[in-house]
Amino acid sequence: MSESEKLRIVTAYEFLKHIRRRRLYVILGLTFVAELAVLILIPALMKGYPDNMMVMAGMLSIGPTLATIGAVFFAGDAIAGEFEGKTGLILFTNPVKRITLVTGKYLAGCAAVILLIIFGYAITSISLWAIYGNVPIATAKSFGLCLLYAGSVLSVTFFFSSISKGAMGATVTTLVFITVISGIIASVLMLAGKSTWFLLSTASDSIFTVYGGYELLFQGVMPAGSMQMMPFQIKNPDIGLCALGMVIYLAVGFVLSLWISQRRQLA
Amino acid sequence: MREPIVIDNLTKYYGKFLALDSLTLRVEENENVGLLGPNGAGKSTTLKILCGLIRSSSGTAHIDGVNVAEKPEQALARIGTIVETPEFYPFLTPEETLSYLGRLRGMRGDELRRRIKEVIKLVRLEDWGKVRIEKFSRGMKQRLALAQALLHDPPVLILDEPALGLDPRGIVEFREVIETTGKEKAIFFASHQLVEVTQICQKVAIIDHGRLLAYDDITQLEKKYQTLERAYLELTGGSFE
Repeated sequence: MSESEKLRIVTAYEFLKHIRRRRLYVILGLTFVAELAVLILIPALMKGYPDNMMVMAGMLSIGPTLATIGAVFFAGDAIAGEFEGKTGLILFTNPVKRITLVTGKYLAGCAAVILLIIFGYAITSISLWAIYGNVPIATAKSFGLCLLYAGSVLSVTFFFSSISKGAMGATVTTLVFITVISGIIASVLMLAGKSTWFLLSTASDSIFTVYGGYELLFQGVMPAGSMQMMPFQIKNPDIGLCALGMVIYLAVGFVLSLWISQRRQLA
Repeated sequence: MREPIVIDNLTKYYGKFLALDSLTLRVEENENVGLLGPNGAGKSTTLKILCGLIRSSSGTAHIDGVNVAEKPEQALARIGTIVETPEFYPFLTPEETLSYLGRLRGMRGDELRRRIKEVIKLVRLEDWGKVRIEKFSRGMKQRLALAQALLHDPPVLILDEPALGLDPRGIVEFREVIETTGKEKAIFFASHQLVEVTQICQKVAIIDHGRLLAYDDITQLEKKYQTLERAYLELTGGSFE
């Protein structure tokens, strides 16, 4: 049997695992609640929806959060869990290359996160259509960037999962790396007037700034002139460079996780 | 005579700790060999190297003539294993798990479905085939572990404390299954239960501190030391009261 056939089998059963897990439905439920909250609170607090559809599209954009949560929760235990939970004692004694097993898990994780992202963007698109009778073309761009971002977060999570003893450690480390460390470095670099395209937090911002940049989006939630009062100038992320950064995270994280998993022993 | 398992000068260090010290032994076709030794003797390390789960520091392990370190997939295709107390994905049922593992081994269609039914019946999990494993006790998981080891009818079985977690009835049933299926297989079987080993195996290898202390027919060891228990205790430095 070819490795590609084995890859197909691993991916299918790993995806089945994700479908069976309660966390998929919890995240789907939370997504629905979050979008509903935006749709209810904005007109309640701001006397109607923003006139500019792009502002509303940006506010409804929870793709980056969904991609981060989905990727981290679906991939945190992908490799570490096999060692920690001893399921690897069964899986790794089958005549399948570790590379095939890890790639299959990665593809299944991608499929599960894509499902979440599609759900999130479907709500956004339906809401915009209902409110404005139109869906901006930028939504497709945002969706594409969100898929790329999910792939890069998944790769980073796989990397931490391959070096962590436990699934919880991998999950927490990835979340801290993406939301805290990357965010702090981005703030420091912004303060120093340096470019931040290579950071995942900036990549995540690029997903909603495609709707018109920080200034337009903040119009809807901040008093006029607030942006000018900030201690440093916020530059809109360069979409092309951010996409390049995400491709680098995706490729390097995935290759490293394959390399480490291949060498890791189940003692 | 064909030798399904050949271990040659196998040495394994965990950091500075020597877990296996130039271990050499061979298991012949249709031979059931028990691997005995106190905790930390190197039994699990030996079996894990044979199953490709860990790498040796030096020496070689061959399954059916295939070097495990060089061609792990080819070697693993020839064995069925239970290592320690394995866990299964809790979200899947035994039928789904066996289907997954069977398909990874190239089984499919009617052949796979028939074989899944057979092994589930063999380990007496007929009523649990469609129940998610998250509801299973340790003993039931151990039965499933035996089912997956036998699923593809491998010529070689490598078992590490396979009866761990089973109740007394389960142990007897397990022994019957191994006795029946093991007639046409080579079995390499690590255990602390001397009675179990005596009932299943013709030969035993006794190891301690990673070194082979004895490798002989049980009857020969009993002749020399009166009982297998006495042989085990004398060779491993235990007291015999």
